[in-house]
Amino acid sequence: MIDFHTHPLLVEEFVAKDPELLRASQEVFFIRNRLQPLQTFHLELEVSGLQKAIILPVDARSARGCRLFSNEQIAELCRVSGRFIGFASVDPLQRQAPDELERAVRLLGLRGLKLHPSMQGFSPGDREVAYPVYEAAAALGIPVLIHCGMTWAPGCKSVNPMELESVACDFPSLKLVIAHFGWPWVHETAMLLLKYENLFADTSCLYFDAPWEFMRHIFGERLPLTLVERSLRHKVLFGSDYPRVEIKNMVRALRQVGLSDGALELIFAKNALCVLGEREGS
Amino acid sequence: MIVRTVRLVVQSRKEQELIDITPAVEQVIAESGVQEGLVSVFTMHTSSGIIVTEGLPCLEEDIIAHLSKLCPSEGDYLHRRYLSIDGRVGFNADAHLKSVLGGISASFPVVSGRLLKGSRQRIYFAEYDGPLSREYVVQVMGK
Repeated sequence: MIDFHTHPLLVEEFVAKDPELLRASQEVFFIRNRLQPLQTFHLELEVSGLQKAIILPVDARSARGCRLFSNEQIAELCRVSGRFIGFASVDPLQRQAPDELERAVRLLGLRGLKLHPSMQGFSPGDREVAYPVYEAAAALGIPVLIHCGMTWAPGCKSVNPMELESVACDFPSLKLVIAHFGWPWVHETAMLLLKYENLFADTSCLYFDAPWEFMRHIFGERLPLTLVERSLRHKVLFGSDYPRVEIKNMVRALRQVGLSDGALELIFAKNALCVLGEREGS
Repeated sequence: MIVRTVRLVVQSRKEQELIDITPAVEQVIAESGVQEGLVSVFTMHTSSGIIVTEGLPCLEEDIIAHLSKLCPSEGDYLHRRYLSIDGRVGFNADAHLKSVLGGISASFPVVSGRLLKGSRQRIYFAEYDGPLSREYVVQVMGK
């Protein structure tokens, strides 16, 4: 089982080496939990019954003057722990972004790209700024996970999942993951997932109530459960958004919505392997 | 008078568990030089506690189970809202309530430089929202 959406922001061994990480986490990412040793992350995975987690950085040097983990730091974490799959992040506003992405994948061994339009200050459909990065990702054969939906950073317009439609059309071989299921635009997300084979969405959303209440609100109230069970079972990936939410709580919440074991197996494991290119899709 | 205050770290490994910290408290007393006085133990977190009970695994489980019945995780809590102080939704009200019910501190006499306690009493750090790295304070006062 894989958590497709985690941030290693509060790992104290890394913050001790780079105190700027803590400032960026608090002031740009708006997360203010206590720092925890790397061991806590591992134990959280164990308690949750998960084997691996994808760890995500954000390169927001142009827009916010910081990086929430560099690609090198992500690669270092992956060397320290075999339980992590590292994604890269590049700043689309910098001309060398495609080259940096190629270096992160080919030299550092990172497996995907994370983008956050509102935090990085770009529009996903911007052909001049964003498209060169998508072209590089498509050429490298890696998936792109894009923050969509509710954001604590200014600029909610750029994170409407509908912004991804042109990208999905123009890059049919590029696997795009809509983060946070695009909440509150969950109908738009569902429509895009139905329409485009190369689009996926992760479950890492919790903005009010308890995880199981929020999960039921999306899968069962806003969207019929049968939609996920019958039509989207190959398009949804489990994600927690740890450490904004503990992994164990999101696992429990998703298990409680009433999906079949077959759908859960796809969402917790097989779909992630498919997006990572380790397994054929169906 | 001697006052020695030590902050200690404990790593919980489960979502909820009682961790015996008696040896750590005894060590702080031994290193303090206090012969006659008082030792107090406090947790630094509002979703954990300090509990004194008999050192039996069955009781450890019973205490966690009983507190969970009194404070069910699926209860209807106002705490489940976005908390800007943390940058996240608070949904661990049950852990906070367990901390209130179980208590956050314990005190024992120090006599002849040693912890004076009942032969079956153990001091536990109570984790209600783990696994996490946690801090607690041991303060020894006396002469």
